[in-house]
Amino acid sequence: MTKLIFNFLGSIGQKCMKFISHIGHFFIFCYGAISWIIRPPWYLKKIITQMIDIGYFSLPVVGLTTFFSGMVLALQTYNGFTEFNSETTVARVVLTSITRELGPVLTGLMVAGRVGAKMAAEIATMRVTEQIDALGTLGTRPMQYLIAPKIIASVICIPFLVLIGNTIGILGGYIIAIYKLDFNPNLYLNATLEYLQFIDVVQGTVKAAIFGLIISTVSCYFGYFATKGAEGVGYATTVSVVVSSVMILTSTYIITALFFG
Amino acid sequence: MNFDEKKIIINVKDLNKSFDSKIVLKDINFHLLQGESLAIIGESGSGKSVLLKNIIGLLQPDTGSIKINSTEIVNLPRKDKETLLLKLGITFQHGALFDSLKVWENIIFKIQNQKKLSETEGRQLAFSIIKKLGLKPEILDLFPSEISGGMQKRVAIARAICGDPKILLFDEPTSGLDPVTGSMIDDLIIRAVKTIGASAITITHDMASVSRIADKVILIDNETISWSGTPKQMLKSKNLKIQNFIKSTNPQLFS
Repeated sequence: MTKLIFNFLGSIGQKCMKFISHIGHFFIFCYGAISWIIRPPWYLKKIITQMIDIGYFSLPVVGLTTFFSGMVLALQTYNGFTEFNSETTVARVVLTSITRELGPVLTGLMVAGRVGAKMAAEIATMRVTEQIDALGTLGTRPMQYLIAPKIIASVICIPFLVLIGNTIGILGGYIIAIYKLDFNPNLYLNATLEYLQFIDVVQGTVKAAIFGLIISTVSCYFGYFATKGAEGVGYATTVSVVVSSVMILTSTYIITALFFG
Repeated sequence: MNFDEKKIIINVKDLNKSFDSKIVLKDINFHLLQGESLAIIGESGSGKSVLLKNIIGLLQPDTGSIKINSTEIVNLPRKDKETLLLKLGITFQHGALFDSLKVWENIIFKIQNQKKLSETEGRQLAFSIIKKLGLKPEILDLFPSEISGGMQKRVAIARAICGDPKILLFDEPTSGLDPVTGSMIDDLIIRAVKTIGASAITITHDMASVSRIADKVILIDNETISWSGTPKQMLKSKNLKIQNFIKSTNPQLFS
């Protein structure tokens, strides 16, 4: 019985140590990756390719998600606020929710699923097929050639994606408000513009940049240290999406608390 | 030049390597002379590739010394190691071609980093190399995933020999290739060693290839070098492990 308890406690201890060691490795990896961003040479072609992949090709999925979220938000808010001055309230709730939270978080989660998974799988495959080792022997630093362009592109592109997603989300709310709820278009638009706060947009953009950093570093980290062939690639992909999503949801609270707490 | 006067290019001394509690290499000692071709043989999992990765600095030995051109590479600063690696031509067991780059871009990757070549110059250089390996120019614009495994192997060799490096390290260069292409690769290694005075280490299971290309052979068995000698000595060796190895891979060599 005592042996069983010790074994149980031992396995918990081992898992805790592994977790702490992962965190330590992750921060060392981030430090290494970010330090290569500021040192030449910069692989501009790779950065642009990544920007197109992350920014341009994520637009449909981000647009669709925020558009329907804006529509749902308008519909739900109307149901809750029918007794009050709903035109202004619906406009305000849609605007604030989208710009402060839903726009950045939904974009972050969508990009983590689409781009983060791709990054992790690509780098993990390169690791298990010795391509990363080969890079090192051909006079190219893998961190600088592979990881840095992904981080730069993510941090630049995701804020723009969020700004576009916010606009599409607000448009979704507008369409429902005008064509389904029969609101006055001028009143709704005026209310939207009146409640549009610069700080909300700034906060959403800051969040997006941080999400970009989270998605790229987490995905690249799990890909870079992948082992065990195809199984390792699958593991790296899954765990990078899960960890990125959890970190996005955790950090959004911290950033909101810092801005509005 | 007298054999004894030849410069030592790679010198491995008392090398030990283990992963956790599993010992992979124990007391490894050998050297490679200028213009010499060394073949490393041994069963799968005997630690041959681990030895190669230690030599090129991808793995750090637990103890021991590895010198390339008299420079100790164990604990060598990153920048110096990068400069040293540029002088080496290396192929990996599975080719390790970059999926996102076309064949010609893969071949000139190292040279492109050192001096900027135009696309035309790059293609011409890549073409001049693949010609020697019996590959057709049509493959230059394909991605590695669009060519066969044998072709991938040869493109990886083309990448390694691009720029005529003086030290060549091949990890199973002829595995998965037909005998004709395999002998073409052997000729290429022989030519590199004899004509440009390169030094080569080749890890292989192909005993026919060993007898063609190698000046010296070492057998890694039970984590250590259990036999070393020339290919002729190998064929006449009474060492049971050597005999078993030859019998199981190329029995016709006995006859």
